[in-house]
Amino acid sequence: MLYNIYMTINELLTKLSEIETSINSKLQSCQNTKELQDLQISALGRKGALTELLKNLKDLSLEDKKLFGPKSNALKQSLTTAFEAKLAELSLKEINENLNKTKIDLTLPAFPFNQGKRHPLAIAQKRMTDILSRLGFVWAEGPLIEDELHNFDALNIPKNHPARDMQDTFFIKNTTRKDFVLRTHTSGVQIRTMQKQKPPIRIMAPGRVFRKDAIDATHYPVFNQIEGLYVDKNVSLADLKRDLTVFMRGLFGQKAEVRFRSSFFPFTEPSVEVDVKCVFCEGKDANCPVCRGSGWKEMLGAGVVHPNVLKNCGIDPEVYSGYAFGMGVERLAMFSLNIKDIRAFYENDIRILEQF
Amino acid sequence: MKLLYSWLKDFIDINLTPEELTKHFTSLGMEVADLKKTGADFDGVYAAKIERIENHPNSDHLHLVDLMTKDGPQRVVCGAQNIAVGQIVPLAKVGSRLGKIVLKPAVIRGVSSEGMLCSADELGLASTRQKGILVLDNSVQVGADIKQLYGGEADYIFDLELTPNRPDLMSILGIARELSTLLNLPLKNKTYKAVNGKGKSLEINLSCGADGCQRYMGRIIKDVKNVPSPQWLQDRLLALGVNPKSALVDITNYVMFELGQPLHAFDLSHIEDGKINVRFAEEGEKFLGLDDIERTLTPQMLVICDDRKPLCLAGILGGKHDSILDTTKDIFLEAANFNPVCINKTSKKLGLSSESSQRFERGLDINGPALAMQAATALILEICGGKPSEINDVYPQKIETPEVTFTLKQIEDILGMKILQEKAEQILRSLGTLTIDEKWTFKANSYRRDLKHRWDIAEELARYYGLENLAPQITSTHATLYFAEHPKTIDIGEKFSQTLVGLGFFECKNIALTSKKDVENFGYTTAQVPEIANPLAEGLEYLRPSLLASLLKNLEYNQRFSNNDLCLFEYDKTFSLQKGYPAEGFSLAGVMTGKTPREKFFLSPQCQVGFYGLKGIITKLLGDFTYTLQSAKQAPKYMHPKICMEIIVDKKVIGYFGELHPLTLKKYDLKQQVYAFEFSVKNLEKQFSAAEFKKAKDVPNLPSAWRDLSFIIDEKTQYSDILSALKDTPAKINLIDLYEGKNLPEGKKSLTLRFEFSAQEKTLTDKEVNGHVDNIFKTLQNSFGATLR
Repeated sequence: MLYNIYMTINELLTKLSEIETSINSKLQSCQNTKELQDLQISALGRKGALTELLKNLKDLSLEDKKLFGPKSNALKQSLTTAFEAKLAELSLKEINENLNKTKIDLTLPAFPFNQGKRHPLAIAQKRMTDILSRLGFVWAEGPLIEDELHNFDALNIPKNHPARDMQDTFFIKNTTRKDFVLRTHTSGVQIRTMQKQKPPIRIMAPGRVFRKDAIDATHYPVFNQIEGLYVDKNVSLADLKRDLTVFMRGLFGQKAEVRFRSSFFPFTEPSVEVDVKCVFCEGKDANCPVCRGSGWKEMLGAGVVHPNVLKNCGIDPEVYSGYAFGMGVERLAMFSLNIKDIRAFYENDIRILEQF
Repeated sequence: MKLLYSWLKDFIDINLTPEELTKHFTSLGMEVADLKKTGADFDGVYAAKIERIENHPNSDHLHLVDLMTKDGPQRVVCGAQNIAVGQIVPLAKVGSRLGKIVLKPAVIRGVSSEGMLCSADELGLASTRQKGILVLDNSVQVGADIKQLYGGEADYIFDLELTPNRPDLMSILGIARELSTLLNLPLKNKTYKAVNGKGKSLEINLSCGADGCQRYMGRIIKDVKNVPSPQWLQDRLLALGVNPKSALVDITNYVMFELGQPLHAFDLSHIEDGKINVRFAEEGEKFLGLDDIERTLTPQMLVICDDRKPLCLAGILGGKHDSILDTTKDIFLEAANFNPVCINKTSKKLGLSSESSQRFERGLDINGPALAMQAATALILEICGGKPSEINDVYPQKIETPEVTFTLKQIEDILGMKILQEKAEQILRSLGTLTIDEKWTFKANSYRRDLKHRWDIAEELARYYGLENLAPQITSTHATLYFAEHPKTIDIGEKFSQTLVGLGFFECKNIALTSKKDVENFGYTTAQVPEIANPLAEGLEYLRPSLLASLLKNLEYNQRFSNNDLCLFEYDKTFSLQKGYPAEGFSLAGVMTGKTPREKFFLSPQCQVGFYGLKGIITKLLGDFTYTLQSAKQAPKYMHPKICMEIIVDKKVIGYFGELHPLTLKKYDLKQQVYAFEFSVKNLEKQFSAAEFKKAKDVPNLPSAWRDLSFIIDEKTQYSDILSALKDTPAKINLIDLYEGKNLPEGKKSLTLRFEFSAQEKTLTDKEVNGHVDNIFKTLQNSFGATLR
């Protein structure tokens, strides 16, 4: 549409308001973005109605320019804004329409991303080492093939002790020295640590141990233990009781009830065993398969380090004292992860492994 | 050890429920493995006589029994098969109590029954060991109260688990002593009359020395009658699970259970020349035991002999020849203290354990023989009669318990708690003698040889105090802080495990014990690995040098349950021998088999990841390390000879990865291809520290430019050769296509590489990029005779 370039200012103003009315009404009736874009070009494009009208500006008097210029610019602004708003509205509508056309069965299987799992024993052990770490125990390692000195003698285990028997301990045959055994407990790590480090000592020693047990639902010739040792000045049975209570509550919750019983081990004196109130039946089920009705589950053995053990490692028992404890990982894992047969840990059945 | 509650009451006046007693035992360190109710536990059960037995009209195993009772005739229904007319039997009527049950009228298959005949079990009289209805002696009057007949009260049998350091607890007396200290109650004065006797006993020679026997007492008792034991004695033995035999045998057992000291009675007529010699056996000496088994002895074994032959395997087993018979008239009674180590070794070696050997091997009270001799003599005289001789007591070297000197403060330091002096004194005085000066001096009674130093004293006080009373409120600690990293092997294992889990691998745990085959299948000889001298079973003789055999077995196990798509790994120690010494190091191994998740997914096109998938895993695992991969010139036997690469760190091959050899698969019964890796972590450790943070590199802010280049090259040219020729190219190189086959000259292949040039300072111009590409192509032309495709 071409306008007479000699239109008067009044005619121009009238035209301007006609354009405003006509475009606004057309804009409202636009049904899709295509129509809207066409309308925008016909109004604001290079040859659009408003653009054409603005070409008159240059021929106006200065006074008229001051009147017509701002008005036409304001209209351009407001129309642009209106187009943008309408465009947003229509695009949203179109996007939604398109999305609603989607046909899909969402109940088809999920994509099976690769995700492996840690072994339940690793999970149980990690929980224990994490708690002990936070209580200030540092990780110590030792060999699995130990000599009798570290596995028995230094631990105050007498030469004729039944544990030293071929029936209970695996001996190594083809070494130069004949006193190598597969360690029967992690306690050898205590000895190795105390021999090379002066107190304070605060270690945990997780790892495998070997006993010549026939395989059944609760026995396996190889199992995992975590050993703890704390040696310093003035370490007492009361320290042990407090620290192990904190450890047990870390494992079983702050409300866990912990019981200490007198016991006997050659390497500690006094010796105790530590029980936890059965977390399954809370001591209320006489037929509970976990605690067998006793209400308590034995968790670990512990005690004040025997003075002979300290002496054997060159630590003066008149100056230093300590406590030590040892706990089975399988026992905890079976108890906490509801695994009923110890053999399940070593079958590595993917149907079990993938559950954790 | 079994304990009969009523027997315990012979020694101490307690009136505790079995539950209370269990609690005490537990806190003292004796676990109650089992608790059984026994003894009469009923009311209103009277003797009745069976007059007539008819078959039940509606049953082929029930009977209708007519009885004469104290209230006249009565009919009941009964299922037991051991009843007969004329028997006197216990009858419980409606309203009678059996344990916790009060009888109600019952209708059994249409016939009403106003009572029941009782078995020993139903009456809690298990120790009579009668099956079926309890048949009473014919002399029992109809209407007699059965409760009166059987002493009237419920009793309990405890089965206690004792710790090996407390042999003194292996008796009724020992448990009573323990409770006496705990409850601060006096022991009852149960004394057996001391009998001096007349005439000489046998001559006793301890030629074994103290390594065999530390004390030996013996006396002769003549003219005894070996009658059956009285009922009370039989009942007590039965309650402990021992079958009564004859009075002489039963009395020695009874005294052992009561006082903890084993005794042995010999038939005097079998002892030749009137001499007892305690000596070690000769090599190859034969001994015929009570159990009719002939055993060959060795010089570590102790025997009780007369002048010529072994009569008895000391402390363990009586001999066939000296055994007590019903007709035995004269006996020689032995009460000795044998060396625990000697008894333990013999018992182990012969695989022979008895109530007696279990007591001796833990170390008994050196004064036990005197007490036991006195008790046994008194009982024999009471039950069997007879004339005792003097006692011959051979006790060459007096054994004393040590004196322990300490201060209460020292004990409190061990326990970390305050101790009431009064309570400590009470406890210690009941265990021995105590003198209190500046320091305390304690000497334990002879039966507590385990109390040797102040830590033992601390333990005793803690036990009797109760560990639950021990410093319950401490919350502070003076623990000195110190810090150490985890061992590198642990941290590096954790890093690898996390990476592998992220890549879809499942962690496995296997035992370190393995078979000869599994050692050899992975390129080792059995001479290179530690061997178990006493393996548990076949197939568990060696310590594994490689983790792969175990993982392949894990695959096979899962394959049985049709789980064929698996990625498994294990991080554990592997073993070897180095100059005759065992050596241990950590290895990481993994296996992949079957389809990847992408291949399994229903929408995915078929694609084989295979070896390159495994290579991707290795690349991810070792991403933070400096290493090279190289096609193995000589693949290990268990690997595919062509599909196997070496992992090289510091010029050392630390492990291999690749496709397993078909024969390896066959050996482990695996039905599909497996890709495997294993490497030792030792050489990687120095490149790793959990404490070290990785430094970030700046990333370019400008977009990169890329170009694809397709070229034809000799098919023998390896990809790694191309990469090394282009190693100075300032671009990331990706292989995006590899083509071998039709439309290519013979012996050629076509590769398409994508080069990605990134700019640090300014956007690269086309001219610069094209310049690079020209250079690349020139290099390829010069090195490999490449032509553009």
